[in-house]
Amino acid sequence: MTSAVTATRSGPLLGWLRQDPRRPIALIVGLVLAVAMLPPMWMLIVDSVTTQNAIGEITGMTLDHFAKLFANKDALRSLWNSLVFAAGSTVLSLLLGGALAWLVERTNAPFKVLAYLATIISMGTPYILHVIAWLFLLGKVGPLNEAYRAVTGSSGILFNVNSMAGMILIEGFLWSPLVFLLLGATFRAANADMEEAARMSGASVFQTLRRISLPLAMPAILALALFVFIRAIGGFEVPALVGMPTRIYVLTTDVYEATLKMPPDLGYAASFSIVMVAIVAVLLYFYGRLSKNAEKYHSVTGKGYRPRPFDLGRGRWIAGAIIVVNFLIVLVLPLITLLWMSLLPFLRGFSMAGLSSLTLKNFYTVFTVPGYLELALNSLCVAGGAATAIMAITALAGWIAARRGPGGWVLDQLATLSLVFPGICLGVAVMEVYLRVPLPIYGSLWIIAIAYVIRYMPYGMRYVYSGVLQLHKELEEAAGVAGATSMTTLRRIVVPLLTPALVAGWLFIFLIANKELAIAVLLASPSSKVIAVAIFDLYVNGQGGELAAFGLIWTVLMTLIACLFFAQMRRGSSDVYGN
Amino acid sequence: MLNVRALTKIYANRFDAQAGGVRDVAFDLPAGTFFTLLGPSGCGKTTTLRCVAGLERPDEGRIAVGDRVLYDSADGVAVPLNERGIGMVFQSYAIWPHMTVFENIAFPLRVAKDKRYAREDITRLVDDALATVGLAGYGERPATRLSGGQQQRVALARAIVHRPQLLLLDEPLSNLDAALREEMRAELRRLQRQIGVTTVYVTHDQSEALAMSDLIAVMDRGRIVQMDDPRAIYFRPANEFVASFIGSANLLKGTAIARVEAGGIGAVRLDDGVAIQCLFPAGAIADQAATVSLRPESILLGAPLHPDHAALSGVVVAASFLGGNARYDVRVGERVLRVVGSAETVLAHDSAITLSFPPQAAVVVGNA
Repeated sequence: MTSAVTATRSGPLLGWLRQDPRRPIALIVGLVLAVAMLPPMWMLIVDSVTTQNAIGEITGMTLDHFAKLFANKDALRSLWNSLVFAAGSTVLSLLLGGALAWLVERTNAPFKVLAYLATIISMGTPYILHVIAWLFLLGKVGPLNEAYRAVTGSSGILFNVNSMAGMILIEGFLWSPLVFLLLGATFRAANADMEEAARMSGASVFQTLRRISLPLAMPAILALALFVFIRAIGGFEVPALVGMPTRIYVLTTDVYEATLKMPPDLGYAASFSIVMVAIVAVLLYFYGRLSKNAEKYHSVTGKGYRPRPFDLGRGRWIAGAIIVVNFLIVLVLPLITLLWMSLLPFLRGFSMAGLSSLTLKNFYTVFTVPGYLELALNSLCVAGGAATAIMAITALAGWIAARRGPGGWVLDQLATLSLVFPGICLGVAVMEVYLRVPLPIYGSLWIIAIAYVIRYMPYGMRYVYSGVLQLHKELEEAAGVAGATSMTTLRRIVVPLLTPALVAGWLFIFLIANKELAIAVLLASPSSKVIAVAIFDLYVNGQGGELAAFGLIWTVLMTLIACLFFAQMRRGSSDVYGN
Repeated sequence: MLNVRALTKIYANRFDAQAGGVRDVAFDLPAGTFFTLLGPSGCGKTTTLRCVAGLERPDEGRIAVGDRVLYDSADGVAVPLNERGIGMVFQSYAIWPHMTVFENIAFPLRVAKDKRYAREDITRLVDDALATVGLAGYGERPATRLSGGQQQRVALARAIVHRPQLLLLDEPLSNLDAALREEMRAELRRLQRQIGVTTVYVTHDQSEALAMSDLIAVMDRGRIVQMDDPRAIYFRPANEFVASFIGSANLLKGTAIARVEAGGIGAVRLDDGVAIQCLFPAGAIADQAATVSLRPESILLGAPLHPDHAALSGVVVAASFLGGNARYDVRVGERVLRVVGSAETVLAHDSAITLSFPPQAAVVVGNA
């Protein structure tokens, strides 16, 4: 009764806040989220519809940027290139990753462990390292074209990597481990009874796959395809390194170029970003609907239940060969390439002659030049700090949203707003916002950390949200009935039980933040770089040897953290709370 | 002790006209009562319990424990759930998996606002509670290493450790297997008597309700349709719903032949013309429609033992042996009556038999 009395005495707002103790939390978290997430979106819109003078003051409203965009043949070509690039790499990664996932999860093919190994290591490797390795492998002096020349005696090349085909190929390789991981989960959760019923009815393995397994997995596959497509539309590493040298532009590289001009054409970059954001928003809408559909087909079986794998008979050795070849392509070849690059004083093709000039000089440089250590520490701090901030905010926001608490819907929308930003667009938007904020953020590591927080907030939200949904609601209600306040329940019941989800989310964000180049590339300054940007610069400067040495050391470190992540995921799924 | 008045909580439902929730629920329990809310799923029994606990906010009504008002829509009083001092056992038990058994049970003492417990008090009270539920010595176990029955006991210990005036039990036995359920039923009742706490028990299992309760409220579509002691609920169902929900009575339609006083015996002409003597708990006027509830186990197989008893002849159409007894479907005229006989009776299909029952067994019930 006391609280009801104080409520009426202390003014309408305070009273309203005290009625439900979650309201003040929701209000504070909502304000933090709004301050972080809304300005970039607002800034992009403002920039795209205004004219500005040299110091960034708005001088008038205009739709010229859009008009110019749609009259510009190059811009339209970039748009078309983006669609072809994204569609091609989506199809390729689904074929590679999907086939692998099915073989590993549902058949008795040998060498399965290689597929997991490739996934774990690629989880920790910056995309840009893969891209550089592939550029070398498929490049003019790379082993593919060398072999072609040796066999045919011609002086030409078999395959020009700096082409749309090369871009699609490399991007497809980049995404196949993720497809493997996500489709693997789908195949693992599928109800094996349905496949066994088909086999009992007399269907062959292939018939079962075509008529039962694939149609059942189709909603999940389509949803995943859309997801990869969205990520590929926003992909930056491959278009920048593979496409730009031969002037094949896509949306992301076009935006990047506009910001590099002197003075930067921010109106063009912003309006182009708005177009990309609109495309992604539409795709996300359909993605949301598709993944809801996918859940309907998701016939989850009992925990710890292991469906009986298909017996491929003699075909299992062919399947094993596919797994091995994939392992070589996705992991071994790029790593060998990086090792080769790191051990040579200057870049050259694979050759016996090269063996005589092997040296550890690059590794020595990496360990002795202080810039590298500082760079590594910077990257770890920025990614770790961003991951910590995200998990702290989303632990509260995700809990309130999942429990349909006050303002839960708004919190959810705010926290997942940045999903519509391709990384490069978010970079443009964050740069614009913090150029105007009178704090010494621009040009420091802080701006990269802030961009990471905005970018990866949705991932933190997903981890917490699904973590909360796995906790039986009565665990919290019991604490309330036992006399605990909402804050006590949060502190003593919810957070301890959510810890596995919080740790997994933290590790995931930490890993992915250290992988991606697109957000940081526009925000880093010479004095404040993170790993992916530094590798990009080294590549552009032609310091391939140091780049490879540093990249390899970094990959080893990140792989250890990726191992922690997978261990945590495994533990999280075996602990069944509240059932 | 627990006084609930005009409790209303409506859930808007988009899919059909019938909205869920509770309407105008009222009861007043003397201290120490074992009170059961009984009904099918969706009848509002759990909503009522959650309103008392403070987990739901009623639209209207008043809830008081002793002279402490917990909720009153008229005065705007709404005590938050964590200040109500009520003990509750949840359907899923809600044992916190990251704590030991001891910490689970100690939790209400540790978070108590009105009183700070010393460490030795906490140890003593928790050990008392553990002993009360028969789990002495289990304190240091991790909560994840408990069987279903043990989790149930821990949940109970946690609910009573701070000596609440009121104990709420939300279908606590529904997750146990049949044998354990029987055992826990007796155990719960013994415990409740021992500590004397007023208890509200929610279940859809009529045998649980009949076996354990001092007072039962049968709920249907958000309302209490009958509140009585177990025998009255069973033998004098207030309406067709109660009669069929509890013990699956035979319901026979007919009309009263003449005026009958409340509580009197009178004749009912059934739809097929047969007249039988019935008990009229509420009385009736001549030619009033009357539904007669006839319990399967109140019907005797064989000729009437007394001239007042009704006698019906029929033919066995289905017979099933259930171990402890035998069940028969007997066609009498147009209708089929369910009859329970002793395990020794052996009646074949199509055998002709006579059924008889005393007037007190045929109870005229109201319409649902």
